[in-house]
Amino acid sequence: MSLEPILSIRSAEIGFKDLSPLLEGVNLEIRPGEIVGIIGRSGIGKTTLIRTVAGLVRPLSGEVLFSGADLSHSTRGSIGLIPQRLGLVQHQTVGYNVLMGALPNSNWFQSVFSLPSVEMREATRKAVSAVGLEDKTLTSVNLLSGGQQRRVAIARAMVQNPRLLLADECLGELDAETALEIIGLLRTIANEQRTAILIVDHNPVRARTFCDRVLQLRSRKIIPLSEGEQEEASSLPQYRGDE
Amino acid sequence: MSDTPRFVQFVVRRPILRTAIILAIFAVLAIFHLEVNLSRLGDAASNLVVIAGEAWPPDFSILTKRASWAYPPCELQTDWMCSPAVLGMTQTLEIAFLATIFGMAISLPLAVAAATNLSPPLLAQVVRQVLAALRVLPSLIWALIFVILVGIGPLAGVLAMTMYTVGYLGKLQYEALEGVSREPLEVARAMGLPRWQVARFFAIPEAANSLISQMLFMFEYNVRHGSVVGLVGAGGIGWYMQYYLEPFKLYDRVLALIIVMYLVVIVIDQISLRVRSQFIEEHEQIRRPKWRGAFVPWAESSDD
Repeated sequence: MSLEPILSIRSAEIGFKDLSPLLEGVNLEIRPGEIVGIIGRSGIGKTTLIRTVAGLVRPLSGEVLFSGADLSHSTRGSIGLIPQRLGLVQHQTVGYNVLMGALPNSNWFQSVFSLPSVEMREATRKAVSAVGLEDKTLTSVNLLSGGQQRRVAIARAMVQNPRLLLADECLGELDAETALEIIGLLRTIANEQRTAILIVDHNPVRARTFCDRVLQLRSRKIIPLSEGEQEEASSLPQYRGDE
Repeated sequence: MSDTPRFVQFVVRRPILRTAIILAIFAVLAIFHLEVNLSRLGDAASNLVVIAGEAWPPDFSILTKRASWAYPPCELQTDWMCSPAVLGMTQTLEIAFLATIFGMAISLPLAVAAATNLSPPLLAQVVRQVLAALRVLPSLIWALIFVILVGIGPLAGVLAMTMYTVGYLGKLQYEALEGVSREPLEVARAMGLPRWQVARFFAIPEAANSLISQMLFMFEYNVRHGSVVGLVGAGGIGWYMQYYLEPFKLYDRVLALIIVMYLVVIVIDQISLRVRSQFIEEHEQIRRPKWRGAFVPWAESSDD
C-alpha cells in the first residue's frame, strides 16, 4: 500500500456559508485501496462531507487536498461519486449510464459526435458483465429494481476507474443478500483498481464489517468508532462479503 | 368603526367583493379613457349579417382551381395541387416546420446557457433577458419587421416564427432543464466534466421527455400562428386570405380557406397530442425518449 494519501483533509470546517459549520476540525487521510466508512445520525453532515470532498461544496476553512493539490485544480476523472439516489440518468439505458463513466477519458470529437471508442465500449461491456446485468444492457434504468440500479452506479464507477470513489449511502435499505453483493463489488474496485473508497453508511454494524476503518460524526467532530462499538460489530459476520 | 356606514363596513369585510368593486372602477375608467362607443356594437351586428350573407355558402373552388397569381409561382401541372388552399396550407405547414426546427436548434443551447443549474449566474441572467426580449414582440410584429427586411413571401414567415419560437421555447426549455434531478449533474461535476458535457450527456437526456413534448407543442402553435403571419405578407394561408379580402372581398372563398385551415389544425393537434402523450410522465413504464419518435411515432420500440 502506498504511503501517499489520495485524500487529505486538514483542519477543515465543513458546512454552508452564513450558517454555523456542520463539522469542525476535520482531519482525514485516505490511501489507495483503502475503504473508509463514515457513520452518524441523520442531518449531522455526512452528505455535506461527501459533497465537499467531491468539490461540490467549498470548505469554510482548512484544506481539502486531492493527491496533495487543492480541489480547485483539475481532477478530471479522478473522483467518482455515487450519491444517495445514485444519480442515474432516468429513462436512459443501463449501457448509456455505464458508458457515462468513460466520458472523462473521451476526447472532444468523441464527445461532440457521441462516438465512444472501441476501448470505451469494451470497458462498458466488461463492467456491465461484472455487475451481472449483461442481459439488461438495453433496458431503461427506471425499469430496474433498487439493487440493480445500485449495480449500474457501481458499473459506471468501474468504467470511470477513479482514484477516489465517494459513495453516499449506496447500500441504502437493501436486504442483507443484495448488500453483500454490492459490498463485494466495492471490495473488487478497491482491491483490483486500487481505488480509495469513502463510504457513508447509516448502519455502523455493517460498515465495520467491510470497511478498513470506520469513523463517526458526533458533536461536529469526526472521530474513530469506539472499541466497544467495534467489538460489537465484528461479532456479526453476515455482512463480511468476500473479505 | 361605529361611525362608518353599514354598507362600507359590509364591503370592507368581504375581500372578494372589495376586489370586484376596485376592478369594476378601473374597467369603467379604461372604457372612458379609450372612448369606447358601445353604440357601434349595433353596427357590428348589421355588418355581420351582410358578411355572413356574402360568405355563405363557402366557395370550395379554392381547392380545385389553379392560383395563377400564387407566390412563389406553382410549376406543377395538376390544378388542385396549385390551388390556393393546398398551396397556402402547405406553405403554412412548411413555415411552421422550419421555424420549429430552426427555433429548437437555436433555443436549446440558449436554454442551457440560461439554466442556473448549468451556467454561471451572470450568463444565465443575460441570456434570460435576451429570450425575454424575443418574446416581447408577438409573431405578427416579427413578421412585419421581416417583410420590411427581406420582402414579402415565406422567408419572412420562417424568420418571424423562428424568432418567436426561440424566445418562447427557450423559456420552456430552461425551466425544464432547471427542474432535472440535482444528483446526475453532481455525478458529472464530481467527474470533473466541463459544463457543456454536463448539459449534453446528463441534463438534456434527463429532461428529454419534456423537451420533446415542448417541441411538438411549439409545432402546433406555429401551425396556428403561421396562418396569421400571412396576413402581413409573410407567406402561408394567411397571405391567400388577405388576397381575397383586399380588394376583392370574396368572403365565400375566405370562409372556405378558414374551414380548410380549421380541419388541418384539428388533425395536426390530434396527431401531436397522441405523440406527446408518449413523452408525458403519467406512469412508470414511460418510454425512453427518442428524438426520432417525435417525427416517426411508429418507429418507436418498447424498452422491455
